[in-house]
Amino acid sequence: MFDSFVGTMLGTLPSMTVTVLATLAITLIFKTSYTTNFAQGVISAVGAYVTMELMYYNNIPIYVGLLIGIVVGTAIGVFIDVAIFRNGRNVNAIGKQIITMGMVSIIVGIVPMVFRTANRESVQLIPMINRELRLVLFNDVAIQYNTLLYLGITIVIVAVVFLMLYFSKWGLGVRSTASNEYVAGMLGVNTRVITAVSWAIAGAVGAVAATMYAGFVQMNSSLFLTTVQVNAFLAGILGGFATFYGPVLAAVIISAISGIVGFVCILVPSLSTWKEVIVYVILLLFVLWKPQGLFGPKAIKKV
Amino acid sequence: MENNFNYISEYKNLNYPQTIECAAKRRVKSMARNPMFSFVVLALILVVLQFLNYLGEYYQIISISSNALTTLGTTVIYSMVAIGFCLLLGYSGLASLGTAGFIGVGAYTAFFCFEQWGMPYIVCLLMTLAISIILGIAVGFVSLRIEGIYLAIITLGLSEILRNALQAIKASLSIGFYNVHLFGQSIPKSVVFYLIVVVFTVLIWITTNLINSPTGRAMLAMKNSTPAAQAYGISLMKYRLLAFVLSTCYAAIGGVMYMMYFRSLTPSESALLKLATSLNILGAVIIGGAKSIWGTIVGVFIIYGIDKLFLQNIKFFNNNPDFITLFVGVLIIVVVMFFPGGLSQLAKTAVYKLKMSRYKRRLRKYGTEE
Repeated sequence: MFDSFVGTMLGTLPSMTVTVLATLAITLIFKTSYTTNFAQGVISAVGAYVTMELMYYNNIPIYVGLLIGIVVGTAIGVFIDVAIFRNGRNVNAIGKQIITMGMVSIIVGIVPMVFRTANRESVQLIPMINRELRLVLFNDVAIQYNTLLYLGITIVIVAVVFLMLYFSKWGLGVRSTASNEYVAGMLGVNTRVITAVSWAIAGAVGAVAATMYAGFVQMNSSLFLTTVQVNAFLAGILGGFATFYGPVLAAVIISAISGIVGFVCILVPSLSTWKEVIVYVILLLFVLWKPQGLFGPKAIKKV
Repeated sequence: MENNFNYISEYKNLNYPQTIECAAKRRVKSMARNPMFSFVVLALILVVLQFLNYLGEYYQIISISSNALTTLGTTVIYSMVAIGFCLLLGYSGLASLGTAGFIGVGAYTAFFCFEQWGMPYIVCLLMTLAISIILGIAVGFVSLRIEGIYLAIITLGLSEILRNALQAIKASLSIGFYNVHLFGQSIPKSVVFYLIVVVFTVLIWITTNLINSPTGRAMLAMKNSTPAAQAYGISLMKYRLLAFVLSTCYAAIGGVMYMMYFRSLTPSESALLKLATSLNILGAVIIGGAKSIWGTIVGVFIIYGIDKLFLQNIKFFNNNPDFITLFVGVLIIVVVMFFPGGLSQLAKTAVYKLKMSRYKRRLRKYGTEE
């Protein structure tokens, strides 16, 4: 019983790492550009496709391939901010959302032209460690080395981004821009550069996340990250966009909830078709209970 | 801008030589001024097109392709949904991404009514309305607690709940050919098209009346400033619930029509219940201009109709179908970047500039009144 529970929870770890990274990227963009980036999933997907194309068809080592994938993800992120958002006339938050939606349409159109997407099978993009190799913890419970690698990558990235946020000049800029873009600009913060760098980091983190995710799902369409993206948005709301750490912690909580519900579904098999519904309803109840998020401050409405 | 207003008032006051209008012309003009006039014309054109298709099929007189009509039908169905969304976003200022889920509720109700229980159309419609009113009230209460962009994400989550729940209830829907009934008769796809056009016109009639009524103005006040609206005694709860109920009803009716028209749906394969539909409807409303019904219809046409009706006939796009998706994406971005008020705003500006140029021409020709 306990073994099965731990096994289920460990099974959610790979998708949890991806959700955490996606949430990090979406939070960064939300805080600096005041919009929900619907294109995050497809931008990340392009990074993964570049890596895959270089690795599988051109025999370039994964390190180089991933690096180029990250560069491409970064470039697309910066392009959206610099070329589109800056040049729009009076584009408000919803307008920006629509622009990212248009971006989804553009990338979905471009990807099949450039990359080989037809009949793509699940490929392991991080093949350094054989997928079958596992570390036995106790009894029947084992953890794959691949999962450990994913965890390691995620922890390093999250740690680096948070250290940058709280101890670097860019981080100070991001925090001040998030608090009030106009005032930050008046006080000498170059909000344009700050926002562009945030988009760049979001693109890079997304590319890594997508490459990781491609290890255990099929990449047959550039929209293969949609579920992760939806979960990341919900994590943002659940944790509250007021802080940077809230959404990231909420992403962990969402994975934990889905693991627990998954375990209950193993015990009661008739529930298994309703698994997703139960998870989302639990999240919805949490959000209704605390509209500002689990980690957000209590909002005081002024008239 | 001030100067421009003076120009217009001057333009209206100037006494230029008038032509004598006959009574018939005047009557047509007053009819054309009715806000419903253009929509009725649109509906008549759609009906005539379907009729020409029917003539073409049976008598080989004139040919309108069935594919083109299916595209038009799809556009009209999504327009119904988009107009409901327009009431929500353009008139009440509530951003929602739950549209796909609401459409799904309608589609599933239609399936159960027609296929499982063999009910007539009217009963099905009433049932759909009842369910969507309950759903709309539930979402409306959520919207009282969560606002703005957060509401959009929560409704997105709600849409996911609905999609998964519907999929868990039944994974694939299909309605038999003879199972859609209206007044005791089973009706084929071509007749459903007429029905869609009629329902569409009725919905537009309801909407135009609503937005010009005290209710519409209360909603608009709520959108522009919530505290000010409350100070004027507008009940947020009442109008937010109303907005969500209306939007849900329109979307569910769209779903019923979709099921009646296409007769089959597999949620895991079709994009109908996925996030893409909610985003496309939002995109259509923004492109068209959130406060204009005509703009919304044109926006839906750009997103759902333009590729199948026009772009596929161009050889280049026909050979590279992925360019269509790309093209639509670029179009969306360009409209949002450079015309924030949407296409309806663009049209208004164009008409205004036309009037100004006519005024200036007359000024040159006849001089001012002095």
